[in-house]
Amino acid sequence: MAVDEKGSMTRRQLLRMIGMTAGSAAMYQAMSSLGFAAESTFKRPIALRGAPKGASVLVLGAGIAGMVAAYELRAAGYKVQVLEYNGRSGGRNWSIRGGDTYTELGGFTQHCQFDRELYINPGPWRLPYHHYGILHYCKVLGVPLEAFVQVNYNAYLHSSKAFGGKPQRFRHVRADYNGHVSELLAKAVQSQKLDELVDKDDQEKLLASLRGWGALDKNYAYAKGTASSNRRGYEKDPGGGLSARPVPSDPMSLKDVLGSGLWAMLSAGENYEMQTTLFQPVGGMGRIGEAFGRELGPLIRYHAKVLDIRQDEHGVTATYEDTTRPGSRHSARADWCVNTIPLSILSQIPMNVGQPMAEAIAAVPYAAAVKVGLQFKRRFWEEDEHIFGGISYTDLPISNISYPSTGYHSPGKGVLLGAYIWGLDAMEFTAMPPAQRVRKAVEYGSQIHAQYPREFDNGVAVAWHRSPFTLGCFGLWSEQARARHYDDLCRIDGRIVLAGEHASYIPAWQEGAVTSALDAIGRLHRRALAQGAKA
Amino acid sequence: MNRNRPPSRRRAALALGLVLGLAAAGSALADDPGVYSASTFKTIDGRQVYTHICQGCHMPDGQGAVGAGHYPAFAGNPVLASAPYLASTVLNGRHDMPSFAERKAAPGSPSFNRMVSLTDAQVASVVNYIRSHFGNHYADKITTAEVTALRLQSQPAH
Repeated sequence: MAVDEKGSMTRRQLLRMIGMTAGSAAMYQAMSSLGFAAESTFKRPIALRGAPKGASVLVLGAGIAGMVAAYELRAAGYKVQVLEYNGRSGGRNWSIRGGDTYTELGGFTQHCQFDRELYINPGPWRLPYHHYGILHYCKVLGVPLEAFVQVNYNAYLHSSKAFGGKPQRFRHVRADYNGHVSELLAKAVQSQKLDELVDKDDQEKLLASLRGWGALDKNYAYAKGTASSNRRGYEKDPGGGLSARPVPSDPMSLKDVLGSGLWAMLSAGENYEMQTTLFQPVGGMGRIGEAFGRELGPLIRYHAKVLDIRQDEHGVTATYEDTTRPGSRHSARADWCVNTIPLSILSQIPMNVGQPMAEAIAAVPYAAAVKVGLQFKRRFWEEDEHIFGGISYTDLPISNISYPSTGYHSPGKGVLLGAYIWGLDAMEFTAMPPAQRVRKAVEYGSQIHAQYPREFDNGVAVAWHRSPFTLGCFGLWSEQARARHYDDLCRIDGRIVLAGEHASYIPAWQEGAVTSALDAIGRLHRRALAQGAKA
Repeated sequence: MNRNRPPSRRRAALALGLVLGLAAAGSALADDPGVYSASTFKTIDGRQVYTHICQGCHMPDGQGAVGAGHYPAFAGNPVLASAPYLASTVLNGRHDMPSFAERKAAPGSPSFNRMVSLTDAQVASVVNYIRSHFGNHYADKITTAEVTALRLQSQPAH
């Protein structure tokens, strides 16, 4: 968290910070340079036509990229086969549900004890409205969607170093931050401090806008009263009848708001990728991968571990092991190959491509990430705290707690995302046995919800570097590596083209996988047409 | 060599490791602070670097792991004969393994992109730890100065 370590700010620093626009622009720039916040290139459904007669494609990997490629190439008339390491379709598109078993690298096995129908998504978990590609396939495959709540004004912002470690409601921090900043800026205008920057006409408009934005009173003050309580909530909410008179709440002081550092957590929902409306598939993100798997049916060969990829003048051969029969060797051959194996694994598989693609494959480290799903005996966050969906953010290693955006008011048990961890903390959680990760998530989460120890039932923890099918979470491109290697990674090498989130400017997002696959098969199809029928 | 242990014995060892791992975690060992902060992390030694970072992939027993791809084992791995090779790998990263070399964080980089770095002394310490554990008995040690020299002459791959 980028909190000023001194915890205090000069007035000039504060005014600089007020430049909300400048702030978001700078953040956007940083995100864009890393490939985040880039708009999807998906415009309309792809319609490849007229595969050369008898032409075939071997797809490696039945994740989102591989299955989009297989689905569209089959529609274009290619003979398609898919090899998949796992015994299921979807790859990182995956939900762990009650009754599932997951064995991570090192042999650590977890049996998910969630109630049936309850789940966590260890990988992707939300779909921005502007990820047109993945949403298109949800529609085509008949995967029903529901709203994913990102911003919840009644969820918490929490710092272990502020307010005695007591979590604060998002609406309190949001309203008080905006309110105090507005008041300061209004004072600066009224005392002619901004005359050089804003002309008289605009000063009036600015004052009016600050009153609305910050919920200031008629004197441009942010103070206890109806205006501020309409934002932050009342001490006692208005109601009906004799006992109905509302009691306004007391705003926190500017010093407390700034000193808490909680303002740094206010903007998560303002990033392009987190803006309303967001979706999730009903029943778990894994529903997309499952639907694709059903659609492609026998085209996918499961439990196939690719050992070697060889291309020659006429086609591509993959040698693979059927992991249900260890030591067995099989081969699959086609005219062309769409290879979606994550670079973490592909970098270890012999494949005769040119030096540029080989170097690109070896140049991308994988991000560490950990998610922990916790089942509780009751939905206390709804019953006791009136939190329905959304996310609480914290400076603790668990980083956030996300409440289910579905099943509101359900009696019985509930599952929330108890940790979503990156960086050093993720590496450390990865190094723990799964049961310890769960215990730590409960321990940290207890600082935010006192009900945790009593209501905790069981949990599941996924550390992506221990995932047997990815050896990491996603390709972590540095700006330098991308400048040097990205194009070489994406260019067709002979008869092989790569696809996946790692071959996109939207890393870690399924939209990157979709648009990468569509781009790759479009180019491959043109090349196949140029070469005519079976070469 | 450990890698050639019969499967049954290896499974038994693994099961035992699991039990011990869980028991140790439950007893809140004095040297288990849970999770280090960015600053306390800089004070830990090679053994702690191993148990808090490296074993995530290379496993508590240094056996590595095999899935669709693999993490190399340290037990019986001939490349360990060269301490500079091991130190360079930690400094520069390799394939999906990130570089752990000391560097300045890029300002404004999002949290998931915040690289984790080790001091030169920690790199030396963890290399020496690996080369004297998991059945390895290399007597020669790499020094912090040697790691610094390696770091200054190599450009991280990522």
